Amino acid sequence: MKIRTFRYFVKEAVKSMRRNGLMTIASISTVALSLFILGIFTCGVVNLDNLASNLESQVEVSVYLQDNLTTPEIMDVGKKLKVMPGLTKMEFVSKQEALQRFEQRLGDQKDMLQALDGNNPLPNAYVLTFETPEQVKDTAATVTKFKGVDSVHYGQDVVEQIFKITQIIRIGGIILIVFLACATLFIISNTIRLTVFARRKEIAIMKYVGATNGFIRWPFLLEGVILGFIGAAIASACVWEFYLFVTGEVQNSLAFLPIVPIVPFFYKLAGGLFAVGILVGAVGSAISIKQYMKV
Amino acid sequence: MIEFNHVNKVYDNGAVALQDVTLHVDKGEFVLVCGPSGAGKSTFIKLLSHEILPESGTVMVNDMDITRLKKRKIPYLRRRLGIVFQDFRLLPNKTVFENVAFALEVIEEKPSVIKKKVSHVLELVGLAHKANDLPEDLSGGEQQRVAIARAIVNNPLVLIADEPTGNLDPNTSRDIVDLFKQINNAGTTVVMVTHDMDIVSYLDKRVIAIEEGRVVSDRMRGAEYRED
Repeated sequence: MKIRTFRYFVKEAVKSMRRNGLMTIASISTVALSLFILGIFTCGVVNLDNLASNLESQVEVSVYLQDNLTTPEIMDVGKKLKVMPGLTKMEFVSKQEALQRFEQRLGDQKDMLQALDGNNPLPNAYVLTFETPEQVKDTAATVTKFKGVDSVHYGQDVVEQIFKITQIIRIGGIILIVFLACATLFIISNTIRLTVFARRKEIAIMKYVGATNGFIRWPFLLEGVILGFIGAAIASACVWEFYLFVTGEVQNSLAFLPIVPIVPFFYKLAGGLFAVGILVGAVGSAISIKQYMKV
Repeated sequence: MIEFNHVNKVYDNGAVALQDVTLHVDKGEFVLVCGPSGAGKSTFIKLLSHEILPESGTVMVNDMDITRLKKRKIPYLRRRLGIVFQDFRLLPNKTVFENVAFALEVIEEKPSVIKKKVSHVLELVGLAHKANDLPEDLSGGEQQRVAIARAIVNNPLVLIADEPTGNLDPNTSRDIVDLFKQINNAGTTVVMVTHDMDIVSYLDKRVIAIEEGRVVSDRMRGAEYRED
Protein backbone atom coordinates (compact mmCIF):
# COMPACT_ATOMS: atom_id res chain seq x y z
CA MET A 1 0.00 0.00 0.00
CA LYS A 2 1.19 3.46 -0.86
CA ILE A 3 1.82 5.96 1.91
CA ARG A 4 -0.46 8.46 0.20
CA THR A 5 -3.28 5.90 0.20
CA PHE A 6 -2.68 5.12 3.85
CA ARG A 7 -2.91 8.81 4.70
CA TYR A 8 -6.20 8.94 2.84
CA PHE A 9 -7.50 5.99 4.90
CA VAL A 10 -6.50 7.61 8.19
CA LYS A 11 -8.12 10.86 7.14
CA GLU A 12 -11.36 9.11 6.24
CA ALA A 13 -11.35 7.14 9.49
CA VAL A 14 -10.81 10.23 11.63
CA LYS A 15 -13.48 12.12 9.70
CA SER A 16 -16.11 9.52 10.38
CA MET A 17 -15.08 9.24 14.03
CA ARG A 18 -15.86 12.95 14.36
CA ARG A 19 -19.12 12.56 12.51
CA ASN A 20 -20.22 9.72 14.82
CA GLY A 21 -19.06 11.69 17.89
CA LEU A 22 -21.29 10.08 20.50
CA MET A 23 -20.87 6.54 19.24
CA THR A 24 -17.14 7.07 19.05
CA ILE A 25 -17.05 8.15 22.69
CA ALA A 26 -19.27 5.23 23.68
CA SER A 27 -17.01 2.77 21.83
CA ILE A 28 -13.81 4.14 23.29
CA SER A 29 -15.31 4.11 26.79
CA THR A 30 -16.45 0.50 26.58
CA VAL A 31 -13.10 -0.59 25.20
CA ALA A 32 -11.32 1.37 27.94
CA LEU A 33 -13.54 0.02 30.71
CA SER A 34 -13.26 -3.58 29.53
CA LEU A 35 -9.50 -3.39 29.15
CA PHE A 36 -9.14 -1.63 32.50
CA ILE A 37 -10.98 -4.47 34.22
CA LEU A 38 -8.93 -7.01 32.29
CA GLY A 39 -5.80 -5.17 33.40
CA ILE A 40 -6.83 -5.09 37.07
CA PHE A 41 -7.63 -8.79 37.09
CA THR A 42 -4.30 -9.55 35.48
CA CYS A 43 -2.51 -7.48 38.10
CA GLY A 44 -4.29 -9.41 40.85
CA VAL A 45 -3.53 -12.81 39.37
CA VAL A 46 0.10 -11.96 38.67
CA ASN A 47 0.65 -10.73 42.21
CA LEU A 48 -1.01 -13.75 43.80
CA ASP A 49 1.09 -16.04 41.60
CA ASN A 50 4.15 -14.14 42.65
CA LEU A 51 3.20 -14.43 46.31
CA ALA A 52 2.57 -18.15 45.93
CA SER A 53 5.87 -18.90 44.25
CA ASN A 54 7.61 -16.70 46.79
CA LEU A 55 6.18 -18.77 49.62
CA GLU A 56 6.72 -22.01 47.79
CA SER A 57 10.41 -21.42 47.43
CA GLN A 58 10.79 -20.85 51.15
CA VAL A 59 12.76 -23.56 52.85
CA GLU A 60 11.85 -22.50 56.37
CA VAL A 61 9.53 -24.32 58.71
CA SER A 62 8.25 -22.81 61.91
CA VAL A 63 7.52 -25.43 64.55
CA TYR A 64 5.34 -23.86 67.24
CA LEU A 65 5.48 -25.49 70.65
CA GLN A 66 2.71 -25.93 73.19
CA ASP A 67 2.71 -23.21 75.80
CA ASN A 68 2.99 -25.37 78.92
CA LEU A 69 6.25 -27.19 78.16
CA THR A 70 9.15 -27.21 80.59
CA THR A 71 12.65 -26.32 79.48
CA PRO A 72 13.83 -29.99 79.27
CA GLU A 73 10.77 -30.86 77.25
CA ILE A 74 11.56 -28.03 74.86
CA MET A 75 15.17 -29.27 74.58
CA ASP A 76 13.79 -32.77 73.90
CA VAL A 77 11.82 -31.62 70.89
CA GLY A 78 14.90 -29.75 69.70
CA LYS A 79 17.00 -32.95 69.84
CA LYS A 80 14.48 -34.85 67.75
CA LEU A 81 14.28 -32.02 65.18
CA LYS A 82 18.03 -31.83 64.84
CA VAL A 83 18.22 -35.22 63.11
CA MET A 84 15.67 -34.44 60.38
CA PRO A 85 17.10 -35.13 56.90
CA GLY A 86 18.20 -32.13 54.83
CA LEU A 87 18.31 -29.77 57.78
CA THR A 88 20.87 -27.01 57.32
CA LYS A 89 20.04 -24.63 60.16
CA MET A 90 18.03 -24.73 63.33
CA GLU A 91 17.20 -21.78 65.54
CA PHE A 92 15.19 -21.53 68.72
CA VAL A 93 12.96 -18.46 68.96
CA SER A 94 11.56 -17.90 72.43
CA LYS A 95 8.27 -16.19 73.15
CA GLN A 96 10.09 -12.99 74.08
CA GLU A 97 12.24 -12.95 70.97
CA ALA A 98 9.21 -13.61 68.77
CA LEU A 99 7.46 -10.64 70.31
CA GLN A 100 10.48 -8.39 69.77
CA ARG A 101 10.71 -9.43 66.13
CA PHE A 102 7.04 -8.83 65.65
CA GLU A 103 7.44 -5.39 67.16
CA GLN A 104 10.22 -4.59 64.74
CA ARG A 105 8.25 -5.77 61.79
CA LEU A 106 5.30 -3.62 62.70
CA GLY A 107 7.52 -0.54 62.68
CA ASP A 108 5.38 2.57 62.99
CA GLN A 109 2.36 0.57 63.95
CA LYS A 110 3.90 -1.08 67.02
CA ASP A 111 1.51 0.86 69.26
CA MET A 112 -0.98 -1.84 68.35
CA LEU A 113 0.85 -4.18 70.75
CA GLN A 114 -0.27 -2.11 73.73
CA ALA A 115 -3.66 -3.71 73.25
CA LEU A 116 -2.11 -6.97 74.49
CA ASP A 117 -1.77 -5.53 78.03
CA GLY A 118 1.62 -7.14 78.53
CA ASN A 119 0.41 -10.64 77.59
CA ASN A 120 2.48 -12.44 75.02
CA PRO A 121 0.29 -14.63 72.78
CA LEU A 122 3.22 -15.88 70.70
CA PRO A 123 4.50 -19.43 71.32
CA ASN A 124 8.06 -20.70 71.62
CA ALA A 125 9.23 -21.98 68.31
CA TYR A 126 11.97 -23.73 66.42
CA VAL A 127 12.73 -22.30 62.99
CA LEU A 128 14.23 -24.94 60.72
CA THR A 129 15.88 -24.28 57.40
CA PHE A 130 16.16 -27.05 54.82
CA GLU A 131 18.09 -27.57 51.63
CA THR A 132 15.06 -27.78 49.32
CA PRO A 133 11.36 -26.83 49.55
CA GLU A 134 10.41 -30.51 48.95
CA GLN A 135 12.08 -31.65 52.18
CA VAL A 136 10.01 -29.07 54.02
CA LYS A 137 6.74 -30.77 53.16
CA ASP A 138 7.84 -34.28 54.28
CA THR A 139 9.36 -32.98 57.48
CA ALA A 140 6.31 -30.91 58.35
CA ALA A 141 4.10 -33.99 58.17
CA THR A 142 6.36 -35.94 60.58
CA VAL A 143 7.02 -33.14 63.01
CA THR A 144 3.33 -32.29 63.53
CA LYS A 145 2.95 -35.62 65.36
CA PHE A 146 5.82 -34.95 67.83
CA LYS A 147 4.88 -34.63 71.48
CA GLY A 148 4.87 -31.00 72.61
CA VAL A 149 4.46 -29.60 69.11
CA ASP A 150 1.41 -27.41 68.78
CA SER A 151 1.49 -26.71 65.04
CA VAL A 152 3.81 -26.53 62.08
CA HIS A 153 3.72 -23.65 59.59
CA TYR A 154 5.42 -23.42 56.27
CA GLY A 155 4.90 -21.88 52.86
CA GLN A 156 3.02 -24.70 51.15
CA ASP A 157 0.07 -24.35 53.50
CA VAL A 158 -0.61 -20.82 52.49
CA VAL A 159 0.31 -21.52 48.90
CA GLU A 160 -2.58 -23.95 48.52
CA GLN A 161 -4.96 -21.35 49.87
CA ILE A 162 -3.60 -18.76 47.51
CA PHE A 163 -3.96 -21.10 44.55
CA LYS A 164 -7.61 -21.55 45.40
CA ILE A 165 -8.15 -17.80 45.50
CA THR A 166 -6.20 -17.27 42.29
CA GLN A 167 -8.31 -19.91 40.59
CA ILE A 168 -11.53 -18.17 41.60
CA ILE A 169 -10.24 -14.80 40.42
CA ARG A 170 -9.08 -16.32 37.14
CA ILE A 171 -12.42 -17.96 36.35
CA GLY A 172 -14.43 -14.96 37.49
CA GLY A 173 -12.16 -12.70 35.50
CA ILE A 174 -12.46 -14.77 32.35
CA ILE A 175 -16.28 -14.83 32.54
CA LEU A 176 -16.40 -11.08 33.09
CA ILE A 177 -13.94 -10.42 30.31
CA VAL A 178 -15.88 -12.56 27.85
CA PHE A 179 -19.05 -10.60 28.62
CA LEU A 180 -17.26 -7.31 28.28
CA ALA A 181 -15.59 -8.40 25.06
CA CYS A 182 -19.00 -9.22 23.57
CA ALA A 183 -20.39 -5.85 24.65
CA THR A 184 -17.36 -4.10 23.21
CA LEU A 185 -17.62 -5.96 19.91
CA PHE A 186 -21.29 -5.05 19.71
CA ILE A 187 -20.70 -1.35 20.35
CA ILE A 188 -17.78 -1.10 17.95
CA SER A 189 -19.57 -2.92 15.15
CA ASN A 190 -22.54 -0.60 15.69
CA THR A 191 -20.32 2.44 15.38
CA ILE A 192 -18.79 1.14 12.19
CA ARG A 193 -22.24 0.30 10.88
CA LEU A 194 -23.18 3.97 11.25
CA THR A 195 -20.08 4.92 9.31
CA VAL A 196 -20.88 2.46 6.55
CA PHE A 197 -24.42 3.83 6.42
CA ALA A 198 -23.25 7.43 6.31
CA ARG A 199 -20.92 6.60 3.45
CA ARG A 200 -23.09 4.17 1.48
CA LYS A 201 -23.36 6.54 -1.51
CA GLU A 202 -19.63 7.00 -1.58
CA ILE A 203 -19.14 3.24 -1.33
CA ALA A 204 -21.46 2.64 -4.29
CA ILE A 205 -19.54 5.15 -6.40
CA MET A 206 -16.22 3.66 -5.33
CA LYS A 207 -17.44 0.30 -6.55
CA TYR A 208 -18.54 1.69 -9.91
CA VAL A 209 -15.24 3.37 -10.59
CA GLY A 210 -13.36 0.19 -9.75
CA ALA A 211 -12.00 0.57 -6.24
CA THR A 212 -10.87 -2.80 -4.92
CA ASN A 213 -12.74 -4.26 -1.97
CA GLY A 214 -9.64 -3.84 0.16
CA PHE A 215 -9.48 -0.17 -0.66
CA ILE A 216 -13.12 0.29 0.30
CA ARG A 217 -12.82 -1.66 3.54
CA TRP A 218 -9.61 -0.18 4.91
CA PRO A 219 -10.95 3.09 6.32
CA PHE A 220 -13.62 1.20 8.28
CA LEU A 221 -11.18 -1.33 9.59
CA LEU A 222 -8.86 1.48 10.54
CA GLU A 223 -11.63 3.30 12.37
CA GLY A 224 -12.24 0.20 14.50
CA VAL A 225 -8.54 -0.20 15.14
CA ILE A 226 -8.19 3.45 16.20
CA LEU A 227 -11.15 3.09 18.57
CA GLY A 228 -9.49 0.03 20.11
CA PHE A 229 -6.13 1.77 20.30
CA ILE A 230 -7.43 4.86 22.09
CA GLY A 231 -9.45 2.67 24.45
CA ALA A 232 -6.35 0.64 25.25
CA ALA A 233 -4.31 3.81 25.87
CA ILE A 234 -6.85 5.11 28.36
CA ALA A 235 -7.14 1.71 30.05
CA SER A 236 -3.35 1.41 30.36
CA ALA A 237 -3.01 4.85 31.92
CA CYS A 238 -5.77 4.02 34.40
CA VAL A 239 -4.23 0.66 35.28
CA TRP A 240 -0.87 2.36 35.86
CA GLU A 241 -2.36 4.88 38.28
CA PHE A 242 -4.52 2.28 39.97
CA TYR A 243 -1.60 -0.11 40.44
CA LEU A 244 0.65 2.57 41.92
CA PHE A 245 -2.12 3.63 44.28
CA VAL A 246 -3.07 0.14 45.48
CA THR A 247 0.49 -1.14 45.84
CA GLY A 248 1.34 2.02 47.77
CA GLU A 249 -1.52 1.38 50.15
CA VAL A 250 -0.61 -2.28 50.53
CA GLN A 251 3.01 -1.49 51.25
CA ASN A 252 1.97 0.92 53.98
CA SER A 253 -0.24 -1.51 55.83
CA LEU A 254 1.05 -4.96 54.87
CA ALA A 255 4.74 -4.35 54.36
CA PHE A 256 5.71 -8.03 54.34
CA LEU A 257 3.65 -8.87 51.22
CA PRO A 258 5.86 -9.25 48.16
CA ILE A 259 4.57 -7.01 45.35
CA VAL A 260 5.48 -7.33 41.69
CA PRO A 261 7.28 -4.09 40.76
CA ILE A 262 5.32 -2.06 38.19
CA VAL A 263 8.28 -1.94 35.80
CA PRO A 264 8.85 -4.03 33.67
CA PHE A 265 5.63 -5.94 34.46
CA PHE A 266 3.48 -3.04 33.26
CA TYR A 267 5.09 -2.93 29.82
CA LYS A 268 3.99 -6.48 29.12
CA LEU A 269 0.55 -5.81 30.49
CA ALA A 270 0.11 -2.63 28.45
CA GLY A 271 1.36 -4.47 25.36
CA GLY A 272 -1.31 -7.10 25.96
CA LEU A 273 -4.04 -4.51 26.50
CA PHE A 274 -3.12 -2.72 23.27
CA ALA A 275 -3.07 -6.00 21.37
CA VAL A 276 -6.51 -6.98 22.69
CA GLY A 277 -7.92 -3.48 22.09
CA ILE A 278 -6.73 -3.35 18.51
CA LEU A 279 -7.91 -6.90 17.84
CA VAL A 280 -11.38 -6.22 19.25
CA GLY A 281 -11.58 -3.02 17.19
CA ALA A 282 -10.59 -4.81 14.02
CA VAL A 283 -12.95 -7.75 14.59
CA GLY A 284 -15.81 -5.39 15.53
CA SER A 285 -15.50 -3.46 12.31
CA ALA A 286 -14.94 -6.61 10.27
CA ILE A 287 -18.32 -7.87 11.48
CA SER A 288 -20.04 -4.70 10.29
CA ILE A 289 -18.19 -4.56 7.01
CA LYS A 290 -19.20 -8.12 6.27
CA GLN A 291 -22.82 -7.54 7.24
CA TYR A 292 -23.56 -4.14 5.80
CA MET A 293 -21.19 -3.68 2.93
CA LYS A 294 -21.62 -6.14 0.10
CA VAL A 295 -18.51 -5.29 -1.79
CA MET B 1 -16.27 -5.34 -27.77
CA ILE B 2 -19.53 -6.47 -26.12
CA GLU B 3 -21.19 -9.79 -26.79
CA PHE B 4 -24.26 -11.33 -25.17
CA ASN B 5 -24.74 -15.00 -26.06
CA HIS B 6 -28.10 -16.54 -25.16
CA VAL B 7 -28.24 -14.67 -21.87
CA ASN B 8 -31.04 -15.55 -19.45
CA LYS B 9 -31.67 -13.72 -16.21
CA VAL B 10 -34.40 -14.55 -13.73
CA TYR B 11 -34.61 -12.63 -10.45
CA ASP B 12 -35.06 -14.34 -7.12
CA ASN B 13 -38.74 -13.36 -7.04
CA GLY B 14 -39.28 -15.29 -10.27
CA ALA B 15 -39.49 -12.23 -12.52
CA VAL B 16 -37.88 -12.93 -15.88
CA ALA B 17 -35.63 -10.01 -16.81
CA LEU B 18 -33.87 -11.25 -19.91
CA GLN B 19 -34.70 -14.20 -22.15
CA ASP B 20 -32.22 -15.66 -24.59
CA VAL B 21 -30.63 -12.31 -25.41
CA THR B 22 -27.93 -12.44 -28.04
CA LEU B 23 -26.34 -9.26 -29.31
CA HIS B 24 -23.07 -7.85 -30.43
CA VAL B 25 -21.56 -4.37 -30.14
CA ASP B 26 -18.41 -3.47 -32.06
CA LYS B 27 -15.61 -1.27 -30.92
CA GLY B 28 -16.32 2.39 -31.56
CA GLU B 29 -20.07 1.87 -32.01
CA PHE B 30 -22.76 4.07 -30.47
CA VAL B 31 -25.66 1.86 -29.45
CA LEU B 32 -28.97 2.81 -27.89
CA VAL B 33 -30.87 0.25 -25.88
CA CYS B 34 -34.50 1.14 -25.47
CA GLY B 35 -37.82 -0.24 -24.46
CA PRO B 36 -40.57 0.40 -21.92
CA SER B 37 -39.72 0.40 -18.22
CA GLY B 38 -39.42 -3.06 -16.76
CA ALA B 39 -38.35 -4.46 -20.13
CA GLY B 40 -34.92 -5.48 -18.86
CA LYS B 41 -32.81 -2.46 -19.82
CA SER B 42 -31.35 -1.98 -16.35
CA THR B 43 -30.66 -5.69 -16.09
CA PHE B 44 -28.67 -5.35 -19.30
CA ILE B 45 -26.44 -2.70 -17.69
CA LYS B 46 -26.15 -4.55 -14.41
CA LEU B 47 -24.91 -7.60 -16.30
CA LEU B 48 -22.28 -5.50 -18.05
CA SER B 49 -20.97 -3.99 -14.84
CA HIS B 50 -21.06 -7.39 -13.12
CA GLU B 51 -23.50 -6.30 -10.44
CA ILE B 52 -25.50 -9.42 -11.21
CA LEU B 53 -24.78 -12.67 -13.02
CA PRO B 54 -26.99 -14.37 -15.63
CA GLU B 55 -28.58 -17.77 -15.02
CA SER B 56 -27.15 -18.94 -18.31
CA GLY B 57 -25.32 -17.61 -21.34
CA THR B 58 -22.14 -15.59 -21.54
CA VAL B 59 -21.39 -11.87 -21.40
CA MET B 60 -18.17 -10.93 -23.15
CA VAL B 61 -16.45 -7.59 -22.71
CA ASN B 62 -13.31 -7.02 -24.73
CA ASP B 63 -13.08 -10.77 -25.54
CA MET B 64 -13.29 -11.72 -21.88
CA ASP B 65 -16.16 -13.76 -20.46
CA ILE B 66 -17.07 -11.66 -17.44
CA THR B 67 -19.54 -14.21 -16.10
CA ARG B 68 -16.54 -16.30 -15.16
CA LEU B 69 -14.65 -13.41 -13.68
CA LYS B 70 -13.18 -14.00 -10.20
CA LYS B 71 -14.67 -11.77 -7.57
CA ARG B 72 -11.49 -9.90 -6.85
CA LYS B 73 -11.05 -9.13 -10.56
CA ILE B 74 -14.37 -7.26 -10.79
CA PRO B 75 -12.87 -3.88 -9.81
CA TYR B 76 -10.42 -4.19 -12.69
CA LEU B 77 -13.29 -4.80 -15.11
CA ARG B 78 -15.09 -1.72 -13.80
CA ARG B 79 -12.00 0.42 -14.25
CA ARG B 80 -12.38 -0.24 -17.97
CA LEU B 81 -16.06 0.76 -17.98
CA GLY B 82 -17.35 4.29 -17.51
CA ILE B 83 -20.83 4.33 -16.04
CA VAL B 84 -23.25 7.29 -15.99
CA PHE B 85 -26.58 7.19 -14.15
CA GLN B 86 -29.87 8.99 -14.39
CA ASP B 87 -29.41 10.47 -10.90
CA PHE B 88 -25.78 11.60 -11.51
CA ARG B 89 -24.49 10.05 -8.24
CA LEU B 90 -22.08 12.81 -7.32
CA LEU B 91 -20.71 13.22 -3.81
CA PRO B 92 -22.37 16.35 -2.41
CA ASN B 93 -19.52 17.39 -0.13
CA LYS B 94 -16.84 17.24 -2.83
CA THR B 95 -16.18 19.88 -5.46
CA VAL B 96 -16.53 19.22 -9.17
CA PHE B 97 -12.80 18.64 -9.44
CA GLU B 98 -12.74 16.30 -6.42
CA ASN B 99 -15.72 14.32 -7.71
CA VAL B 100 -13.92 13.58 -10.94
CA ALA B 101 -10.59 13.03 -9.21
CA PHE B 102 -12.26 10.51 -6.87
CA ALA B 103 -12.43 7.98 -9.71
CA LEU B 104 -8.65 8.15 -10.01
CA GLU B 105 -7.89 8.40 -6.31
CA VAL B 106 -9.55 5.11 -5.52
CA ILE B 107 -7.39 3.38 -8.10
CA GLU B 108 -4.32 4.99 -6.51
CA GLU B 109 -3.28 7.17 -9.43
CA LYS B 110 -0.44 9.67 -8.86
CA PRO B 111 -1.59 13.18 -7.80
CA SER B 112 0.21 14.81 -10.73
CA VAL B 113 -1.50 12.47 -13.19
CA ILE B 114 -4.86 13.04 -11.49
CA LYS B 115 -4.52 16.80 -11.83
CA LYS B 116 -3.65 16.57 -15.49
CA LYS B 117 -6.36 14.08 -16.43
CA VAL B 118 -9.12 15.80 -14.45
CA SER B 119 -8.31 19.23 -15.89
CA HIS B 120 -8.38 17.69 -19.33
CA VAL B 121 -11.81 16.03 -19.02
CA LEU B 122 -13.35 19.08 -17.33
CA GLU B 123 -12.19 21.07 -20.31
CA LEU B 124 -13.75 18.46 -22.58
CA VAL B 125 -17.17 18.60 -20.90
CA GLY B 126 -17.00 22.40 -20.71
CA LEU B 127 -16.85 22.78 -16.95
CA ALA B 128 -13.24 23.85 -16.37
CA HIS B 129 -14.46 27.18 -14.98
CA LYS B 130 -16.62 25.41 -12.35
CA ALA B 131 -13.96 23.05 -11.05
CA ASN B 132 -14.22 24.39 -7.50
CA ASP B 133 -18.01 24.51 -7.28
CA LEU B 134 -20.05 22.03 -5.29
CA PRO B 135 -22.61 19.89 -7.14
CA GLU B 136 -25.50 21.71 -5.42
CA ASP B 137 -24.42 24.94 -7.16
CA LEU B 138 -24.73 23.35 -10.60
CA SER B 139 -27.72 22.80 -12.88
CA GLY B 140 -28.88 19.27 -13.66
CA GLY B 141 -27.18 19.29 -17.03
CA GLU B 142 -23.93 20.46 -15.51
CA GLN B 143 -24.10 17.79 -12.83
CA GLN B 144 -24.53 15.16 -15.51
CA ARG B 145 -21.50 16.59 -17.31
CA VAL B 146 -19.47 16.11 -14.14
CA ALA B 147 -20.69 12.52 -13.95
CA ILE B 148 -19.70 11.97 -17.57
CA ALA B 149 -16.29 13.52 -16.91
CA ARG B 150 -15.86 11.09 -14.01
CA ALA B 151 -16.88 8.17 -16.23
CA ILE B 152 -14.42 8.97 -19.01
CA VAL B 153 -11.48 10.27 -16.98
CA ASN B 154 -9.95 6.80 -16.85
CA ASN B 155 -10.22 6.24 -20.64
CA PRO B 156 -12.79 3.43 -20.50
CA LEU B 157 -13.29 0.85 -23.23
CA VAL B 158 -17.02 1.41 -23.05
CA LEU B 159 -19.05 4.33 -21.76
CA ILE B 160 -22.30 2.95 -20.36
CA ALA B 161 -25.16 5.34 -19.64
CA ASP B 162 -28.35 4.37 -17.84
CA GLU B 163 -31.08 6.86 -18.79
CA PRO B 164 -28.60 9.75 -18.65
CA THR B 165 -31.20 12.32 -19.75
CA GLY B 166 -34.02 10.99 -17.60
CA ASN B 167 -33.87 13.90 -15.18
CA LEU B 168 -33.15 16.64 -17.72
CA ASP B 169 -35.27 18.95 -19.87
CA PRO B 170 -35.25 18.34 -23.68
CA ASN B 171 -32.75 21.08 -24.55
CA THR B 172 -30.26 20.02 -21.91
CA SER B 173 -30.79 16.42 -22.95
CA ARG B 174 -29.67 17.22 -26.48
CA ASP B 175 -26.55 18.94 -25.15
CA ILE B 176 -25.73 15.91 -23.09
CA VAL B 177 -26.37 13.58 -26.03
CA ASP B 178 -24.09 15.75 -28.15
CA LEU B 179 -21.41 15.30 -25.56
CA PHE B 180 -21.80 11.51 -25.76
CA LYS B 181 -21.56 11.77 -29.53
CA GLN B 182 -18.38 13.80 -29.22
CA ILE B 183 -16.89 11.20 -26.89
CA ASN B 184 -17.93 8.45 -29.32
CA ASN B 185 -16.33 10.31 -32.21
CA ALA B 186 -13.09 10.31 -30.27
CA GLY B 187 -13.19 6.50 -30.35
CA THR B 188 -14.94 5.37 -27.19
CA THR B 189 -17.71 2.79 -27.54
CA VAL B 190 -20.97 4.11 -26.08
CA VAL B 191 -23.92 2.06 -24.86
CA MET B 192 -26.84 4.21 -23.79
CA VAL B 193 -30.07 2.96 -22.26
CA THR B 194 -33.01 5.26 -22.82
CA HIS B 195 -36.74 5.31 -23.38
CA ASP B 196 -36.72 8.87 -24.73
CA MET B 197 -37.88 8.64 -28.36
CA ASP B 198 -36.73 12.19 -29.09
CA ILE B 199 -33.20 11.16 -28.28
CA VAL B 200 -33.46 8.03 -30.38
CA SER B 201 -34.53 9.88 -33.50
CA TYR B 202 -32.24 12.84 -32.81
CA LEU B 203 -29.17 10.60 -32.56
CA ASP B 204 -30.08 8.35 -35.47
CA LYS B 205 -27.76 5.57 -34.31
CA ARG B 206 -28.16 1.83 -33.94
CA VAL B 207 -31.11 0.93 -31.69
CA ILE B 208 -31.63 -2.34 -29.87
CA ALA B 209 -35.19 -2.62 -28.61
CA ILE B 210 -35.93 -4.84 -25.63
CA GLU B 211 -39.43 -5.82 -24.60
CA GLU B 212 -40.35 -8.28 -21.88
CA GLY B 213 -36.78 -9.45 -21.72
CA ARG B 214 -36.34 -10.17 -25.41
CA VAL B 215 -34.59 -8.31 -28.19
CA VAL B 216 -37.48 -7.39 -30.48
CA SER B 217 -35.59 -5.32 -33.01
CA ASP B 218 -32.08 -4.24 -33.85
CA ARG B 219 -31.79 -1.51 -36.48
CA MET B 220 -28.88 0.50 -37.67
CA ARG B 221 -30.87 3.73 -38.13
CA GLY B 222 -32.62 5.05 -35.02
CA ALA B 223 -34.71 7.54 -36.99
CA GLU B 224 -36.62 4.60 -38.55
CA TYR B 225 -37.38 3.09 -35.17
CA ARG B 226 -40.81 3.64 -33.72
CA GLU B 227 -42.07 2.17 -30.52
CA ASP B 228 -45.23 0.36 -31.48
